[in-house]
Amino acid sequence: MNAVSAKLVVEGLSHHYPDEYTGESVHALEDINLELYEGELVSVVGPSGCGKSTLLNILAGLLPYKVGTASVDGNIIDGPGPDRGVVFQEHAILPWRTVAKNIGHGLEIRGILKSERDRRVQEFIDLVGLTGFEDKYPHELSGGMKQRCQVARTLCSDPVVMLMDEPFAAVDAQTRITLQEELNRIAQATQKTILFITHSVDEAAFLADRCLVFSARPGQLKEIVEINIPREKRIWADMNNDPDFITARDRILKSVREEVSVAKEE
Amino acid sequence: MSALSAVSISIQRRFGRQRLRKILLGSIPFLVMIGVWHANTVFEWLPPVFIPSIGDVWEAIFFLQEDCAGFVPLIMLDNSCLMSTHILSSVGRVILAAIIGLPFGIAFGILAGMNRTVSKFLEPVGVFANSISGIAWIPLAIVWFGVGWVTTLFIMLNTIFWLMFFNSMLGVRSVARVYEQSVLTMGGSRWDVIRQVYLPGAMPSIITGMRMSMGFGWRALIAAEMIGGDSGLGFMIFTSAAEFKIEEVFLGVIVIAVIFMATDRYLLAPLEKWTVERWGLVWKPT
Ligand SMILES: Nc1ncnc2c1ncn2[C@@H]1O[C@H](COP(=O)(O)OP(=O)(O)OP(=O)(O)O)[C@@H](O)[C@H]1O
Ligand SMILES: [Mg+2]
Repeated sequence: MNAVSAKLVVEGLSHHYPDEYTGESVHALEDINLELYEGELVSVVGPSGCGKSTLLNILAGLLPYKVGTASVDGNIIDGPGPDRGVVFQEHAILPWRTVAKNIGHGLEIRGILKSERDRRVQEFIDLVGLTGFEDKYPHELSGGMKQRCQVARTLCSDPVVMLMDEPFAAVDAQTRITLQEELNRIAQATQKTILFITHSVDEAAFLADRCLVFSARPGQLKEIVEINIPREKRIWADMNNDPDFITARDRILKSVREEVSVAKEE
Repeated sequence: MSALSAVSISIQRRFGRQRLRKILLGSIPFLVMIGVWHANTVFEWLPPVFIPSIGDVWEAIFFLQEDCAGFVPLIMLDNSCLMSTHILSSVGRVILAAIIGLPFGIAFGILAGMNRTVSKFLEPVGVFANSISGIAWIPLAIVWFGVGWVTTLFIMLNTIFWLMFFNSMLGVRSVARVYEQSVLTMGGSRWDVIRQVYLPGAMPSIITGMRMSMGFGWRALIAAEMIGGDSGLGFMIFTSAAEFKIEEVFLGVIVIAVIFMATDRYLLAPLEKWTVERWGLVWKPT
């Protein structure tokens, strides 16, 4: 790991949300330190309200922060930028653009020529299995297809790191399993550096090289669980019998459960 | 019987079942109205000074256009081609007011939708202007600009601009934040966000705004022409009524309605179909 440079570095990051009405503030994050290395998929789990989305929004540049530093490729984060691609939890592809135009949007913004753009767009449409739907509008797609389109849009812009906030939370269980296997395949094929936030312990253990468990609010890094299973072996049919997977999952589950009970006692 | 059903099937093929149904349903109230109107002439419930016959109204067209000597005097708004002159003068004003009022209303509305300072600055004066409805401005406008096209244009612009402003502003505010955020995280600029998110996202409201502002604007124009105009359909109706030419009044009213229906049907409805309906932003009743 040391030979590879860290793509994303967070040091001593804390965050408070002020409350306009009461004058009090919500302490969402406390002293977060983390590093994401090239080609790594790191998942973040933690009880609801522990500050996971807050972290992601800060890294995306959508939420200004005061305490600590965060940088991508050595550049301090101070606003949104194309080096960080975001996959949102909600349906975020633009309803007034076709699938192909949504996926090529990032390239269009950067002024890439149409011929080059079309070639790359087609590549990612095929990669996420949306072939044949190029000219459809988002309202003509299923929920799972919309999220695949969003993943393809982010991939197509070729960011340094990909930030994903519970991207599969809103789709049904069957589709979710397919999407997880697809993301695993994509992660292997593209070697993207990915920060993946999720509620689901299974999902975190299935996808991640490392899983970060956050404590109840204020979110702190509680534990790091490493999952050393080669990507080609990660298929749901096999994983449920894989001892390494089961160990990692149970470890994460136990850790999160403790925090959930802490959160409830408050 | 079989020949009849064959004709009916071929008509249905040509126009499409749904469309045919829509046209038929929509024309029933008009057919009833025409029937009652004609019955009135036949049975003389109300004398022709109140309600002229359909034939008289039809003939009023030719009477008004009587001395019209062809195309050139027609477009020169020659006084001999009375009816076409009035139509063109009204329609011309509507177009002029739309060209100025719609883009400015949309631009300022979007600006106010995305920027609190702009909206705080413009909203109160907009509420103030809107509360004095289009027509109530007429007396003041006549004092300021006299009788003529400036007054009618002012009345229309006042109506169109503020309706467009409020609708566009609300439209921008109703666009989900995540669309803006996704364009920003792909490296988009403010200008990209305006063009690619706010404008299309506010389109349902903008189109509603266009329909409202053209509807209210057209009505305000007719009223303005009656009191503060020197030409146009409103002026024509008013002068004809003063001379008890009831058939010309009827003709004017019908022409006004037909022109507005045509604008809505052939300009605004297709715009809606090609934008918000295609994008799935509005609910389509079946
Ligand atoms: N815009 C905001 N203003 C004020 N407080 C906020 C805001 N967003 C989040 N919070 C608070 O900060 C805390 C962390 O919120 P955050 O959305 O980061 O949680 P989360 O870990 O993503 O939760 P979940 O798993 O339910 O999505 C919560 O207590 C929440 O109430
Ligand atoms: Mg969240």
